Amino acid sequence: MYRLTLTALAAAIIAVPAWAGSAQAKEYILTATKPDKLVMVDIAARKVAKTYTIPNATPGVLTITPSPDGKVAYVLVNRWESISGIDLDSGKEVFRADFSEGDIRTKGMFGMTISPDGKEIFIFQSPVRLGAGEYEVLDTHIAVYNTADGIGAKPVRKLPAPRRTAILSNSTDGKKLYAVNWDITVMDSQTGKVLDVHKIRNWGRKDHSEPDVLDVWPQWEQADIFSTPYYAVRTDVAMDHPEAFQTGMLTLDLKSGEFNMENFEPTGAIIFSTVVNPVRRNEVYGVYTTLSKIDIEKDVLVKRIDLEHTYYTINVSGDGKEIYVGGTMNDISVYDSETLEKIGRIEMPGGADQALASMRVIQR
Amino acid sequence: MKHLKPLNKKARLLEKAADEGKAEEVHAMQTIAGCSSTLDPGWEVDPLGGVAWLCQPMEADLYGCSDPCWWPAQVADTLNTYPDWSTGADSAQRDWRTLQAVFPKNK
Repeated sequence: MYRLTLTALAAAIIAVPAWAGSAQAKEYILTATKPDKLVMVDIAARKVAKTYTIPNATPGVLTITPSPDGKVAYVLVNRWESISGIDLDSGKEVFRADFSEGDIRTKGMFGMTISPDGKEIFIFQSPVRLGAGEYEVLDTHIAVYNTADGIGAKPVRKLPAPRRTAILSNSTDGKKLYAVNWDITVMDSQTGKVLDVHKIRNWGRKDHSEPDVLDVWPQWEQADIFSTPYYAVRTDVAMDHPEAFQTGMLTLDLKSGEFNMENFEPTGAIIFSTVVNPVRRNEVYGVYTTLSKIDIEKDVLVKRIDLEHTYYTINVSGDGKEIYVGGTMNDISVYDSETLEKIGRIEMPGGADQALASMRVIQR
Repeated sequence: MKHLKPLNKKARLLEKAADEGKAEEVHAMQTIAGCSSTLDPGWEVDPLGGVAWLCQPMEADLYGCSDPCWWPAQVADTLNTYPDWSTGADSAQRDWRTLQAVFPKNK
């Protein structure tokens, strides 16, 4: 169960985002479509505001990491072998890092984040040496790039990181780096020194199997809380018992560092990804072929509705009133967070699929 | 491994890994968190042997499986081997009829 601490509440009040100085700042969604389009959606107008073509991006865009000031989008493209930074005003590529060199093929594996000051990009990489008759799998690491290095950027440092890392996130003060793998490794973002480990697969919870987590979606920018569903089997009841299969919610507060994992229902639906309401911070919304509202103070499912098709990604407005579901196919749908009533739909340009692209909310 | 006898080089490597205690590097999922618990009979099947818990429609999940090489035996791998497989078919639901089967160039 997540409990908002007094310290976290104070930090939430004191923290002032970079865009807050502008009276005209409004929210936009950043997503992408196949094969090479970055899409910025004017949420209030319920329409696509701009479409950008990303150089050498095919067959699609994976992770999207916006700069904290909402001016540049860093996207993982080119079969996961490059980061392209697109200026959202000019549409020009202002940053490019191509990972593979010589006989070393390097893929960025989902996990990417940016420092709160916007100066450093962190990307989890998996390199392989391509031999004449065999592949040599090399150690995984987090590569760090200076955003100011622009086109042709090279890593300024590499931090050893556990294989299977799929989510990277900074703490809000930028001092810690969270690498979500079988467990959550808490690292010093400068040195890579391991400071702590939050156990997931190794949780050792009484009367439970190891939990399963599948999460590749960065969508914590509104509440500064990373959340993801997990699935586990109770070992104290028979497999055909109605309570045997359990779904729970994992939350990691990126301000306070508080970490929780609690069951909230006997598994009744698959949930791929979740987002925390930044205002009613006990509410988490989960998406797949259904849309679920979960109360993580009471650890209960509040409401669930069927969706018109499957969506991988979900995000929420800064005032907590609207939920956005996207990814997979060619639209973003808007739902009222109180009632889960559908209140809008935005079609992607050319009807192209978003597939696995992230869906981020920015202010600019 | 008491009842299985390796027949080829890869199977012997698997047996060697198990003997060295390295098999624990691979953990089966305990439950079904989407997609499939098995590769048989085809691309995807849910834990009940049907499709009700899979992506709806099935095409919604096509590029989510091909672009990350998630099911490389069932769906063409656009990450490395067949990068142009989905070129010109940007909507799986609309364009799936134009997608072709792929075959390894070298046996």
